[in-house]
Amino acid sequence: MSFVPQKELVTGVERHPLDADVPNVIEKLFALKNQCTECNVCEVACSLVHSPDGTVNPQYARLKIDHAPDKASRVNPDGLGFIAEICHHCGNPPPCAEVCPTEAFYYDPKTKAAVIEQDNCIQCMECVPGCPFDAVFIAPSGELLKCDLCGGDPVCVKACAARPEMLNQGKQYVRLPVLFYSEQAEFNKEHKQVPEKTDEVGMMQAMLEAGTISSPA
Amino acid sequence: MITVHAKFHSHFKELAATGEDSFVIEITTVSEFAKCICDKYGSRMRAMLIDPKTNELNERGTMFVNEKGMRVSAEDILEDGETITFLVGIAGG
Amino acid sequence: MESRLLRVDLTTGELKSEVIPHSIFERWIGGSGINNWIMWEHFLTHDINCDPRGPDNIFVFGVGPLAGTGAGSGIKGRITFKSPCYNMFGDSAGGGKFPYMLRFTAFEYIAITGKSPKPVYLRICNNEVSLEDASHLWGKDTLQTHTMLREELGTYPSKVHTLSISQAGENQVGIASVVSDALRIHARCGGGAVMGSKNLKAIAVQGNGGLPIAMPDEMLAWSDDFRQKIDSNEAVYGFKRRGTLGAVEMYQHIGSHFWRNNQGNMFRGGEITSDNWVNKYHKYSEVCSSDCFIACDAKYKIDGTESEAAKKYIGESFRRPEYLTTGSAAGALDVRDWAEVAHWGKITNDYGIDNQDLSCAISFLMELKQRKLITDQDVVELFGREQSLEWGNMDDIEACLHSIVFQKDLFGKLFGDGPYLGAIRYSELKGQNFMKYATYGKGGASFTEEMRPFPTWMNNMAVASRGADHLKGIGLIEKFQRKDLSKIYFDGRTEAADLTVPTLKGASTALIENQVALLNSYGVCLFHWMLDPAGYTPQDYYGKAYAAATGIDRTPDELMLDGARICNLEKAFNSRIGMRREHDTVCERWMWEPTEEGMYPGSVAADMFNPVLDEYYEWRGWDKESGLQTRKSLEACGLDDVAEVLAQEGSLAK
Repeated sequence: MSFVPQKELVTGVERHPLDADVPNVIEKLFALKNQCTECNVCEVACSLVHSPDGTVNPQYARLKIDHAPDKASRVNPDGLGFIAEICHHCGNPPPCAEVCPTEAFYYDPKTKAAVIEQDNCIQCMECVPGCPFDAVFIAPSGELLKCDLCGGDPVCVKACAARPEMLNQGKQYVRLPVLFYSEQAEFNKEHKQVPEKTDEVGMMQAMLEAGTISSPA
Repeated sequence: MITVHAKFHSHFKELAATGEDSFVIEITTVSEFAKCICDKYGSRMRAMLIDPKTNELNERGTMFVNEKGMRVSAEDILEDGETITFLVGIAGG
Repeated sequence: MESRLLRVDLTTGELKSEVIPHSIFERWIGGSGINNWIMWEHFLTHDINCDPRGPDNIFVFGVGPLAGTGAGSGIKGRITFKSPCYNMFGDSAGGGKFPYMLRFTAFEYIAITGKSPKPVYLRICNNEVSLEDASHLWGKDTLQTHTMLREELGTYPSKVHTLSISQAGENQVGIASVVSDALRIHARCGGGAVMGSKNLKAIAVQGNGGLPIAMPDEMLAWSDDFRQKIDSNEAVYGFKRRGTLGAVEMYQHIGSHFWRNNQGNMFRGGEITSDNWVNKYHKYSEVCSSDCFIACDAKYKIDGTESEAAKKYIGESFRRPEYLTTGSAAGALDVRDWAEVAHWGKITNDYGIDNQDLSCAISFLMELKQRKLITDQDVVELFGREQSLEWGNMDDIEACLHSIVFQKDLFGKLFGDGPYLGAIRYSELKGQNFMKYATYGKGGASFTEEMRPFPTWMNNMAVASRGADHLKGIGLIEKFQRKDLSKIYFDGRTEAADLTVPTLKGASTALIENQVALLNSYGVCLFHWMLDPAGYTPQDYYGKAYAAATGIDRTPDELMLDGARICNLEKAFNSRIGMRREHDTVCERWMWEPTEEGMYPGSVAADMFNPVLDEYYEWRGWDKESGLQTRKSLEACGLDDVAEVLAQEGSLAK
C-alpha cells in the first residue's frame, strides 16, 4: 500500500499557458450513460499509467465509475445502470482552470487539453466545485486530478471492455463500448440516436434492428 | 448433392436468427457445410465457425455434434439427411 | 513481491500484521496456494482432527497477485478452512468487489482463528484494523448486513465492500456460505458455518492505498494483447450475453442436466429448456467482480409480465441465474418457471446457502416421497407440518430452505450438512437404507449436472480435494470432445477427447487440476481460460502476466510444477485427516444406475471408474492401492517437509 505523487502525460515540450489563445479540444472523451458494467478496468489502467512508479490505485484515476440508481434514462428506465464520470473538456479555457488562483493549468500543445501542473497547484480545491461535471477528483494524497487525455491516446478508451476500434471494422462487436475518444460530430452521428425501447424485444434488440450494433449485448 | 440440416442453439441461434436450417451441398464434408453456413449468415457466423488462424473449424467455445452426440471435424463426411447441431461449449457454473 | 497477512485471534482479540515474504510467493504463487500453506502451517501446531466448528479451525481469506492489476481476467477471492459439512479440506472462490477492495488496503490475506465471546465484525480500513460489535447485525441476512454496514461506515476513504454470513452461518449450518457484497457467493464447503462458529458476522473493507506492479509497462502490454485476443474470439460475445446460462441448451441437447435428483438428464417444460431467458428478463449488464474484460453477469428486475409465477416476485431484482442456479432449481428440483429459478438464486444468496448442497438434499427427500418410501406422517415428523414435497413446488422448496437456515425442525438438523450426511442420518433414523437416492461424490454434494457418460467428470467428482467438485479439474477436453486440446497436452494423442475409452481421462484430471490451481492462485476467474484453453494457458500465457505483476518469471514447466505442488498440499491435508482411496468414490446412483435418456444412454460410472482412477494416481505419482502420496512424488514438487509430516503420521505411502 502506498500513496505516490502523480505524473501528467503530455506530448509536447512546449506548453501553452492558460491565457494563450488556444482552440478548443476537438477530439474528446464521450461515455454512453448506463451502458457501463463497472468493470473498473478504465480506473485501474488510468491510475497505472499516471503513476510514476507503477502503482494501481483507482482512487488516483481521473475518471470514476459510479452507480446511478436514481438516474433513470430512456435506455434504462429501471435506473439500474452505471455512469462514467469523465472530463468533458469544456471550451478553452475550461471552468475548472478559470477559477484556479495560482494558474496551475496549462494546455497540452497536441491535444489542447487543459492539464494541471502539480508543482504550481496549492491544492486549494477551487477547481473541484468549479467543474460542472464533478470530474476533478481529489487523490488520497491531496493532489487534484484532472483528465489529460494521456497526451492523445487515452488509456481508459483502450481499456474499456468493449473496443471502440472495432466500431470501424464492420461493427464486429456486441457489447456497446462505453468510452469513446472522438470528435463531437462523429460521436453524435454514431451513437446519439439510441432507438426507443420496444416492449417485445428489449433495448439491445432494438439497437440491433436499428443497426446501431450488430448483435445484442 | 445431399441435403444436410443444421440446428442452432444459444449464440448460434442468435447469429442465424433461426433455430434450424437446411443446406444442399455438393462436396459432402463438414468444412464445405460450414462454408455454406458462413456464406449465408455472414462474417459473425464465420468468426464463430472458422478459426481465422488455421482456417479449420473453430474449437474455441464451440461444440458441433452429429446425431450420436459425437463432435464432428472438418474432414468428416456427411450423409444425406444428416443433422449437425451447433452448440456453445461452456461448462460449469 | 511481498504482501501482508492479517492474523486475527478472536479469542483474545489480538490483531497482528505479518509480512508474507517473496519466498512464499516463489513457492506458493499466491491466492489459494498461499491460503493452503497458511492453513497447513496452522494445523502443524493445532489438531487437524479438531471440530471444524471449534475455535481451533482456521478461516483464511486471500486474493491472488493478478487481481485488480488491469489483467482483465476477473477477480476471485478465496476462503480456505477445514470444511464443517464434509470434515475435510474446504475452500471456495467468489467474485464481488470485496477482494478487489481488499487489495487497496494494507492486507491481502486474512487468517482468523479462535472464537469471539460475542458477535463481532472485522473492519479493515487501509492499515487500520478493528473488531467491532456486531450484535445489531446478528439475525440479519446477508443483504441486510451489507446494507447496514454500508450505511454505518460511509464512503470515505472508499466505498465499503463486505463479506458476510446470514442466519444460516450464525446457526452453524454445515452448508452455510459466505457472501461478498450480498451479491456473489463463496458457496462451497460451509465457510459460513466456520465464520458463524467464531461469532464473526462480517468483514468490512475500505481502502485507498496503491498496489505496486513490478513491471507496469509489461502489464499494460499484456493487458492490451489479452483484450485483443478476447475481442477476436466470437464465442466470447455469446458468453458475455449469457454467461454460463449458455450451457442450458447444449446440456439439454446432449442430455447433461441433473433432472429430479438425476433420475433424468433433460429439463422438462417449454421455456426452461432454452436460454431465451436473456431476452425476457435481462435488464442490464454488470460485472461480477472488477477488472474483467468479459462481464458475463447481468441483472434482472421482474415486472410481473414475464410469466404466471413472476407475479409473485414483482419488483425483485438480483443478478441473473448462472448455470448452477438453473441446474439446481430447474434440474434437481424440476422448477419450470424462469422467474422461480431467478428467485431461487436470490434467496439462496440472501440466506447464504450453497444451492448445490441444498438442492441435492431437497431433491433426495422429494424422490423418497415420489417413490412412496416416506409417508405423509414422515413428512410431518420432519417439518412439523404437512408438505406436499412435489417436484417443482416452490413453496415447499422455500420451506425446506427455511428449515435448513433456521434449524427449527428435524429436516434442518438432519440435512444441514448436505445430502450425503443427511441421507446417512435419515437412513439410520428410519432403519432403512436410502443411500441409493443420495447423489454425492467423496462425501460432497453433486454438482447438479449429469456426469455418468463423462469419465473425467466422474473422476473429478471422486478425487476433488473438497469433495465432489467440478471446478478443481474441469473435464473440458472430454465434455467438448476437444481433440485439438488432447493433442496439445498429450503429445499428439487424441484419446482424452474420446468418451468411449478410459485412456487419458485420469491424466486429464491431474493436468487440469494443476492448471486450475494456478489460476486460483493468480486470483483470476476460470472462465476466461475456459473460452480458449489452448490460447490463454495458465502456465504460459497467464504466466507472463504473473511475471509482470510480481516480477517472478517462470517457465511454463516450472509453473505447472507449482500447480502440482498446490494440489499435492491439498491432498496431504486430506491424507492427514485419514482419507484414502476408498474415499475417492461416487454415489451408487452414478456408479450403477444407467442413464436412460440424452445422447449417451446406458452409461454408468462403473464402466470406466477404476481404470480412470488408477491412471489419475499414476499421473500424480501416488500409490494406487492406498491412494496415498509417495515420498518420491512429494519430493518431485519440492514438498520434502510435507512428506516428513505425512511420514510421521503414517499418511505416506509405504
